[in-house]
Amino acid sequence: MASSTDIVLKVEDLRVQFHGDGPVSRAVDGVDFEIRNGETVCIVGESGCGKTVTALAVMGLLPQPPARIAGGRILFGGESLLEMPSSGLRALRGKRMAMVFQEPMTSLNPVFTIGDQISEAILVHEAVTTADARRRTIQLLEDVGITDPGKRIDDYPHQLSGGQRQRAMIAMALACGPELMIADEPTTALDVTVQAQILQLLKRLQQHSRMAIQYITHDLGVVATIADRVYVMYAGMIFEQGTTGHIFNNPRHPYTMALLDSLPTREKRGQRLYSIPGSVPHPAYKPSGCPFHPRCPHRRPSCVDAFPEMCDYGEGHLARCPILYGMERDSA
Amino acid sequence: MIAFFGRSVVQKSITLFFVSVVSFLVIHLAPGQPSQIDPLNPKFTREVVERMRQQFHLDKPLHIQYLLFYRDLFTGKTVSWKDSRPVLGKIYERFLNSLPLFILGTLLTWTFSFPMGIRAAIQRNGPFDKSTTFLSYVLISVPGFFFAYVLIILVVTHLNVPVIDMQTFGVTSDSVMVLFMDRVWHLVLPSILGATGGIAVLSRYVRGQMLEIIGMDYVRTARAKGLSYDGVYYRHALRNALLPFVTMFGLMLPGLIGGSVIIESIFGWPGMGRMAYEAILARDYPVILTLNFITGVLVLAGTFISDLLYMVVDPRIRL
Repeated sequence: MASSTDIVLKVEDLRVQFHGDGPVSRAVDGVDFEIRNGETVCIVGESGCGKTVTALAVMGLLPQPPARIAGGRILFGGESLLEMPSSGLRALRGKRMAMVFQEPMTSLNPVFTIGDQISEAILVHEAVTTADARRRTIQLLEDVGITDPGKRIDDYPHQLSGGQRQRAMIAMALACGPELMIADEPTTALDVTVQAQILQLLKRLQQHSRMAIQYITHDLGVVATIADRVYVMYAGMIFEQGTTGHIFNNPRHPYTMALLDSLPTREKRGQRLYSIPGSVPHPAYKPSGCPFHPRCPHRRPSCVDAFPEMCDYGEGHLARCPILYGMERDSA
Repeated sequence: MIAFFGRSVVQKSITLFFVSVVSFLVIHLAPGQPSQIDPLNPKFTREVVERMRQQFHLDKPLHIQYLLFYRDLFTGKTVSWKDSRPVLGKIYERFLNSLPLFILGTLLTWTFSFPMGIRAAIQRNGPFDKSTTFLSYVLISVPGFFFAYVLIILVVTHLNVPVIDMQTFGVTSDSVMVLFMDRVWHLVLPSILGATGGIAVLSRYVRGQMLEIIGMDYVRTARAKGLSYDGVYYRHALRNALLPFVTMFGLMLPGLIGGSVIIESIFGWPGMGRMAYEAILARDYPVILTLNFITGVLVLAGTFISDLLYMVVDPRIRL
């Protein structure tokens, strides 16, 4: 077990609310997770479960208002980010923690060359000359696998393909050698072959540095490829956490099981694919008790009222379902 | 590049031809004739009217009139029917009068609109945003002439700023400075009035544009990089928000010739707008049509300049 000094990011009971017209949306409703040095942690969940909001809260990029951090702590390298002045946070962003966004098409500024945008990230945080920054940018572009980086550096985003733009985004995130990279569905907008290349690239880059990656996705195939540990999120909460092996081989929560059941596999060829009935509850209208109970096949009457606590299965494998936990203990 | 120039010239010439035809027809569709301007005037006998019709070619078929008019226009021989002075000379004289008003008004509009709109967008829903929004809507809703009269009354009764015409009537002085300052003081009120409406509208537009860009993904990327407030808003957001205004810059050109009818009428300013208005009332076809044609040329030149400027500022646009 890693010691606590290894922990890059620790999020404790984070709560984010959105205030707008109508009732308050509790988008993130008490999330705990931690990421250690050099580790790849996946946050998985359906669209609208609060994955991106959690990541933006960590980066301090939530638009406030309408968002409001209603509680909890975010510790980065032992420092509390929520209590940090904005200047301190700015000095961290891009230097010690960086983020890669979902849409490479719209995440790069169309009126600046990619070289400008990457070297800008270096120049903001380090006292180097423009020429040095440019040299490093070319190196970064080469590292992320862009061919002919000396020429590409002066290209505008619209001159690059989607995959190349995402590589440029990754180069920008890597510019100052961050300790933590948050990747928010970086391959969702790309086609499958490019997706595989980007995942390989991230793995390779991680081997060179001790960088931790928080990878947000709804694609379990991606999780199986890159994750060391997995957090399954639903309705703004962590429902299950454990190593990739735990989650894929021994899921302990009905939601995780349902997610895995809806994956296409060779055995299920020709059969109708399973899908979880119903949809993710709106963050302003969450069901009482266990938020998953309306869609759960193992539902008991008590689930409607009782809020499910985390149940410990050992080795860092936790799941938020007392029903299954109780059944397992009884049979043991 | 050369292909672009060639294409533009050809396309715009064709457009200009249609503009000339349509404006000519529209004028002639309007009821009444220059020769019937004042049927009660005893000087307008049948013979006089007939002579005028012949002199102005009004007895010829429409297409011949069209050709004759544009022949005269291009050879610079067009004369006003009202006072028989060359039209181009008349326009040039009025143009010089309108120019300072236009320049000062535009300068005021642009220098105030941009900082106002940008600040309102960055501090959305803050006190500055709310008060400028309120003020803008007040200025947009209150008619310009009403506002002008209120201002004139205030200025005339409380401040000693002269308001009517371009200079104080009968002012004579040996000092050039006195004459110059007299001119400047006369400029103040009409240009402020001309600018207020523009500021109200343009600052709203700037605010909207800026708000849209602030919501873009790449602005979030800029923040994620750890850029300062200034770097995010003034480098990444503003550069993109300004793109559409480059187009407006070219389209301002026709404003040069249009002037402002209302402001010029209220302040007795002998400018282009008033001349056009008077020419329409007098059915002075040569003046109206020449102004129309020049405006057409300026609109087309403006769009051409906009295209060029767009190419300079937006790397996505190439010829």
